[in-house]
Amino acid sequence: MGHKELMVGNKAVAYGAVLSRVQVTSAYPITPQTTIVEYLADFIASGRLDAKFIEVESEMSAQVSVQGASWAGARAFTATSGPGLLYMHHPMMGCRLPIVMAVVHRSNKSMQPDHTDLMAQRDTGWIHLYCENTQEVLDTMIMSYRIAENDRVYLPVALGLDGYILSYTAEPVEIPDQDLVDSFLPPFKGRSAPHPDMTIEEWRANMSRGAGGYGTQKAWIDHHENMMAAKEVIVEVDEEFGKVFGRSYGGLYEEYNCEGAEAVIVAMGTIASTARPTIDDLREEGKDVGLVKLKTFRPFPHDEFREMAKRYNAFGVIDRNISIGSGGVVFNELRSALYNVDDKPSVLGFHTGLSGEEVTPGMVRRIAEKTLEAARGPVEPLVEWV
Amino acid sequence: MIEIRLHGRGGQGAVTASRLLATAAFLEDKHSQSIPMYGTERRGAPVTAFVRIGEKDKMVRSLIHEPDYVVVLDSLLRKTVNITEGLKDDGMLILNSSVPPEEIELLKPYKVATVDATGIALETLGRPITNTAILGAFVKATGEIGLESVIEAVKQQWKGTLGEINVKAVEAAYEATEVGDPKIVAEVVGEKAPAGSRADWRTFRPVVDLEKCTGCRLCWVYCPEHCIEMVDDKSVIDYAYCKGCGICVEECPVGAIEMKSESERGE
Repeated sequence: MGHKELMVGNKAVAYGAVLSRVQVTSAYPITPQTTIVEYLADFIASGRLDAKFIEVESEMSAQVSVQGASWAGARAFTATSGPGLLYMHHPMMGCRLPIVMAVVHRSNKSMQPDHTDLMAQRDTGWIHLYCENTQEVLDTMIMSYRIAENDRVYLPVALGLDGYILSYTAEPVEIPDQDLVDSFLPPFKGRSAPHPDMTIEEWRANMSRGAGGYGTQKAWIDHHENMMAAKEVIVEVDEEFGKVFGRSYGGLYEEYNCEGAEAVIVAMGTIASTARPTIDDLREEGKDVGLVKLKTFRPFPHDEFREMAKRYNAFGVIDRNISIGSGGVVFNELRSALYNVDDKPSVLGFHTGLSGEEVTPGMVRRIAEKTLEAARGPVEPLVEWV
Repeated sequence: MIEIRLHGRGGQGAVTASRLLATAAFLEDKHSQSIPMYGTERRGAPVTAFVRIGEKDKMVRSLIHEPDYVVVLDSLLRKTVNITEGLKDDGMLILNSSVPPEEIELLKPYKVATVDATGIALETLGRPITNTAILGAFVKATGEIGLESVIEAVKQQWKGTLGEINVKAVEAAYEATEVGDPKIVAEVVGEKAPAGSRADWRTFRPVVDLEKCTGCRLCWVYCPEHCIEMVDDKSVIDYAYCKGCGICVEECPVGAIEMKSESERGE
């Protein structure tokens, strides 16, 4: 049943690529993603991973290289951070190929982590999965290919992990056996891979589909429908992963210590880990506040939050991001999701942890206590920086 | 849950020490985190790293502000960095120092363990990389982790001779560590280096033999800190700015400059 090893988040990413039998990888080094590239190069050089590493001069080229590989029928992987991700924006937009990309979060106003990098790719049509610990990073790598390559989805996945906080922190990780991973993740059968019997019309259609279908509104409709279908697939894959490997993450989101809670805080990435013991403490003190860890940001679980709104009187949304001139991205989406429900709960917004500012258990406690207060009556201000 | 903060300088292996401690804990079936603090780390500059050992579901992702133990890999660092900041009242300091605990000056009655980790590292490894020696001291002073686990972690980190000599450093430090009570004082006198100075990076200082110095100025030309002055045609080093890089020693054509350990001058 596998073995355990102490490893950093970036190594878990590379291990995930090895276990997923990635065939083509291309990446351009950038702090704090760099060691992923180094680990992958090591794995390929030592023969542990049988893959082609395409060396490139920029992130733009890395992104289009893996897209080309995926088009040709190879399982492809890339990784980047902050500014490198922004440089990939153009080819990412509208891409409909089952690539997996690790995004080691890095702010664009410092080298330290926040979610502004991946949030800036909100509308590119990629699936966004956020991770909170090293084990989840490795497991999500494997799940991502299952989700991406699913026939109902067939879309790229961006896997987010907080730079430094996860990328460089070492902790014990269980590495599953290759046989088990192989049984869970069969070889990739690319839809657009050319073959001798293919007619030129078929080939053209596939090429156009991969690029997102130039020139038609229908391509956007299809892309959106596939994305919405991914919600179901993400939950199914997570459940099956749980059955095979004994670990699961709730798929779209996880409710932690929420039973009988009046209010919940909503957190993503490593802040969720910091919140768990804090929520435990608050519950022990008799304060009925729970944690909703949002793992999947795209597709956004609108319906699921509407269901939750029947149970909880207040949501305290922690945004490690800001849409400048508007506010917290998750805060805004969650409020918009709840617009049509009866007996609307309070939704509070908290910005914190931007540019790598530390998020402590004490800060989470303050957020949770204010949210609980909002479940019982109006509080001011609605949105604040913590 | 135990929380440990490590202070060192770039090149002494504080990050590796935190990694080894986390590995040793993991070998004892405990959950652990090894957290390096990344900023503008480079050789010689102060570095901080952290270790958490405990239950998996209590592993928060913030840094450690109230440690149970503080481990200091450098013998002079405590003069410039506030190493006791946030240390719990019943906490313990594990210091690289050639003096016994009773001579360590502190404001509060923390338990103190000392070991001459630099001396042990020079003897076993031949260079002042103190990370493995200080771990031997940690094991002896705290009992939180078994000696065998640390040795196994060291062997996993380095194969062959490198592993063997590092195991020797761990064992020698384990034997030599003293635990005691510090000298309580009203004020700890720190040394404040002048602005722009890297003087606190030094493990060794260059000392000029004025008899041998020919006044050729090669050291004056090559010193990256511009801290050598020619006085009466002899090289005089300004230790307020010298970072102990040793380039002057390399360049001196007559062997008039020698590197001497900072700890040799009674700290």
